[in-house]
Amino acid sequence: MEAALADTADLRVWDLPVRAMHWLLVIGIGVCWWSGINNELEYHTYAGYAVLWIVLMRLYWGLVGSSTARFVNFVRGPKAILDYATTLHRRDTPHSHGHNALGAISIVLMLGLVLAVVTLGLFAVDVDGLYSGPLSLYVSFKQGRHLAHLHYDWFNILLWVIGLHLAAVIFYFIYKRQNLIGPMISGKRQGAAGETEMTHVPLWRFVIGAVIATAIVYAVSVGFYF
Amino acid sequence: MSAFAFRRIAAAVFVVSVFTVLEVSAGPAEIAQIKPRQDKLRDMGGALKAINDDIKRGRIDWDNTVIPNAQTIKDRSVYLLNWFPKGSGPETGKKTYALPVIWQKNDDFQKLGKAMQTEAAKLNEVALKKDEAALKAQVLATGKACKACHDTYRSPDYEKENEE
Repeated sequence: MEAALADTADLRVWDLPVRAMHWLLVIGIGVCWWSGINNELEYHTYAGYAVLWIVLMRLYWGLVGSSTARFVNFVRGPKAILDYATTLHRRDTPHSHGHNALGAISIVLMLGLVLAVVTLGLFAVDVDGLYSGPLSLYVSFKQGRHLAHLHYDWFNILLWVIGLHLAAVIFYFIYKRQNLIGPMISGKRQGAAGETEMTHVPLWRFVIGAVIATAIVYAVSVGFYF
Repeated sequence: MSAFAFRRIAAAVFVVSVFTVLEVSAGPAEIAQIKPRQDKLRDMGGALKAINDDIKRGRIDWDNTVIPNAQTIKDRSVYLLNWFPKGSGPETGKKTYALPVIWQKNDDFQKLGKAMQTEAAKLNEVALKKDEAALKAQVLATGKACKACHDTYRSPDYEKENEE
């Protein structure tokens, strides 16, 4: 009995910044969606800045952050992805530590799409010429209107990919009996005692990134006119 | 039937049929409103954007940007309510963002149109006075007058393809 208990342990898998960014992004995209549909464009703009900040931070954390946050540690080549995909139907596969090879695709795709949608929004012009994106002064009214429609079309694509992400989480929960939501909240998952843990990085790295991201978002918000 | 009575009936039939033809042929006239109205409204949106862009840059060019664009908005706004004759909505089969509710709640629509004219006239006055703080406030008020109507009487962007 004691031996059995000793074999399992709480393994840390996601650090606080990763979890915070994940859930703030969920809230941010939700606010953007609601305010966009209801034409509350003043709030929509501010929510868009927040989302831009989070995505910039996540990209930065993907370079210098904790082990499970880094792109080099979870973005895999076609062979690894294919190998993983062929075991997807099996129910007894071990828990991946961090993103699995297939999930990595959807992470990269979602981050890329969010960045694309936000970028289109920065140049988008509303029908009234009132609450336009901060960079819309670099495009004409007509171009900006066109970009506003693309902003919407690309958001729809993003929603489909988010839908796929949610479907995958449900699939893991029901079919593979792996709870992926819990670890994204607590940061920990059950694992064998001997498994390698994630490595944290000092918090000052996050602070440096936050300062840079804030500066970029501010510069963008004033259209690079100071 | 006397010849006189026959002529009277024939005349009446003719008059009625002319009116009927006029009524039916009223369609193309309403359809013809859609494209120019979109162009003119786009001019107004573009004009407000141009003023807003100068405000955002923090470099306001009164003579080349603000005054001419405020003039465009004011000039166009005078005719605004003429561009929406009954029958120029989606029933034309043409691609239009104009919603049928324009003609169902026409009193309210007219009221918002007149409010737009008032704001546009004020914007023009403020532009001529070259008062920056007043301009910022009035651009916001004018844009909100545009939005007030669009929120209820225009299809949201996401329900239609991009306008051309």
